[in-house]
Order: sequence, then structure tokens, then C-alpha cells
Amino acid sequence: MGSRMGLGIPKCLIEVGGRPIIAHLLDRLAEVEDVRIVVGFDAPNVMRRIRDIRRDVTFVVNPSYRMTTTLHSYVMGGAHLRTPALYMDADILFEPSSFRAFLEGAGAAPETPLIAVTEAKTQDCVYAHVDEAMRITGFSREAPGPFEWANLAWLPPGVLEAKPCAVYEQLATRLPLQAREIESYEMDTPEDLEQLIAAYQAIA
Amino acid sequence: MRTGFAFDLDGTLTREELLPLIARAAGLEEEIALLTRLTIDGTLSFAASFKLRFAILKSVPLAQVQEAAAAAELDPQIAAFVRARPEACRIVTGNIPQWIAPLVERIGCGVHSSEASATETHPTALTRIINKAEAIASMRTEFDRIVAVGEGAGDIAMFDAADISIAYGGVHDPAPALLEVADYVVYESRALCRLLNTLL
Repeated sequence: MGSRMGLGIPKCLIEVGGRPIIAHLLDRLAEVEDVRIVVGFDAPNVMRRIRDIRRDVTFVVNPSYRMTTTLHSYVMGGAHLRTPALYMDADILFEPSSFRAFLEGAGAAPETPLIAVTEAKTQDCVYAHVDEAMRITGFSREAPGPFEWANLAWLPPGVLEAKPCAVYEQLATRLPLQAREIESYEMDTPEDLEQLIAAYQAIA
Repeated sequence: MRTGFAFDLDGTLTREELLPLIARAAGLEEEIALLTRLTIDGTLSFAASFKLRFAILKSVPLAQVQEAAAAAELDPQIAAFVRARPEACRIVTGNIPQWIAPLVERIGCGVHSSEASATETHPTALTRIINKAEAIASMRTEFDRIVAVGEGAGDIAMFDAADISIAYGGVHDPAPALLEVADYVVYESRALCRLLNTLL
């Protein structure tokens, strides 16, 4: 909902480089046929803005967005799918080549979960601890490490269940899980947004 | 699991609204356009609007109405989805069978509609205005799960009664009130059929 950003608009519509952040995400997904976006807060406006960018998106409506977690939205987005899918938050900037490499890695073993981790840098990060084989062995909000959970995962059907917890907490029940590093910038706070904009300017 | 698919007709299966098409053929375009707009917006209930539209159009010969309705352009992708599995699909429409029979035949699946008495040449009186929720309920004897697809405020009852509901904005924007009760919203028939295929 972006309440911590204090801007009064959904985070996915915050503009970076003159375009809403969701437009940058849709650039990354240009070759993906079935794109589903779960909408809740300010849904009519979000749908109107997104369909001006890409009209063949499937919108999944989460009317209980105020009472549910991101995990619930992930589950709603993946409902009825019988194939693996890529799940992500909509308030992230992904560096294009590392995103492509992540997709290629997922495509190489499509039935195996692949979890994205990124250099720890956000204000409110969930650290992802990995072993020498780049497998995630634990998540933690307290114990620091070089990586954080990047809110991007390739998952076969049935891995996620709608429970009142965070996505990483549910992934934690299936550890170890294979990870791959990606360059990404998420925003939960105004400081994160500053970092994201600086990264966009460097990438662009 | 047996899944049934219920499709609104006007502006969902067809790429244009039927009644304006019929009205154009009968020279009553302006009057029907106003009623259609008020109905799509939800200002006028479907039942009230349909009674008024029926009263205006019942003077038009059935053959003329059928010819105009039969010429309506179908969305090719949605029509192909229905024709590939007609036993699992139903048209759920407020129109009366006497107006849409040739069009329904072109689509090739069953239909739940309003009903009217008629002479050989003209409809005489509306005998039943469809309750779209009841249409969905009647499909329960055949199907374990029902997916509803529509675009207007008149489809709200159908969405409430169905297990999965899809607001379709391929012809015009779905009614705002419909978005409140939809599980999915799509704006292209390609996206709609992709979604429907995951629900088979």
C-alpha cells in the first residue's frame, strides 16, 4: 500500500525515470505471455494505469488486501496454475541482465524452486543466509549477512499456501532452497526510494 | 471436477451491444442508446431497463430483429473457446430467445435467457426477466464449479452466484460496480481465453 512512503499512491505507481515502477517491471516481463497482477489498494486507478502500459495483463482482485499479507496475494496470483511461475513484489527495480540470468537459471530446472537474493541494503531487510552451494539455510530479520531476500522467486504450483505469515516465513519451511543473486532495489521507505532512483540512474 | 462457463452475450461474446444494433435497424437508435448507457452505468436496474427496451422494440418485426442480431460480430477467440466445448458453456443473457435464436445457433451452446410470448411475427409480452443468479444456480446440477464472464452491472448477480468471476473489458470498460465483485479483470479476449484455459 505504500503507507510508509507517505505519498498516498500505490508503490507500484511511484515514478522512476518518468515512468511508474510497474512499467519497468513490465519491461522485464515483455516476453512473458501470462502476466498476472494482484490489485487491491486503489485498484481501478492501478488497473487503468497498467493497461495503458500493457493491455493483456490479467488482474487478480484481492478485496481483502488490508487484512492479508503479500503471501496471500502471491497465492491468489498463482491460483489455478498448473505450471511453475515467477512471483515478485511490484515495488522493485531489477537490473535487466541479472533478471534475465535469473530467468535462465529458473528455466534450466523449471520444477525446482529458485529464490532470488540480493546484496543486503534496504532499511527493513530480511537477511537470507546461504551456504557455499548458494542454498538458503535460513532467513532472519536480526542476524545480518551479505544477502537479503529479493522478493522474487520461481516456484512450482503448490509451494505457497495462504497462511497469515510472510512469504519468506513460508519459504523457510522448505529449506534448504537454491538461491541466485540478482541486482535489485526494493523500496519500503523514502531512503530505499532514494537508493532505487540512484541505482536506476546508474543502470540507465 | 466439472467446470461450467457462463458468458454474458452483449459486449462479451459479441463485440457490440445487440440492442443498439437492433435499434439501428429499426430506426430507434437514440432511445435505446440512452437506456443502454443508463443500464451499463447501473443507474437503471436491468429489469426496469429491459422492460422499457422491450416496450420500444416489440413493435419491430421478429424477422428484422433476428437478422440484425444474427449479424453481430462475435469475438473470434471467445467464440472459438465456446465452440471447442459447447457442452461446458452457456450463454446467460437478458434478451428473449425470439430475438437471438439465429445468433445463439451461430455460437453453438445452450442459453439461459428472459422469456416472452410472441405471435409468428411479433413478441407480445415479457413473461419472465432472467435472474442471472438463478441461471447460475440451475447450472449447479451439471457442474461442480462455475466460472462467470461478463461486463455490465446486470452481471453482478451472476458473479455473486458463480465460484469464479471474470470482468471483461474487451469491448468497453466493465461497470465499476462489477469490479467490486470480480475475482479477475481482463481487457483482451486473448488474456480472457488464456485465463479460461487455466480453469478448465
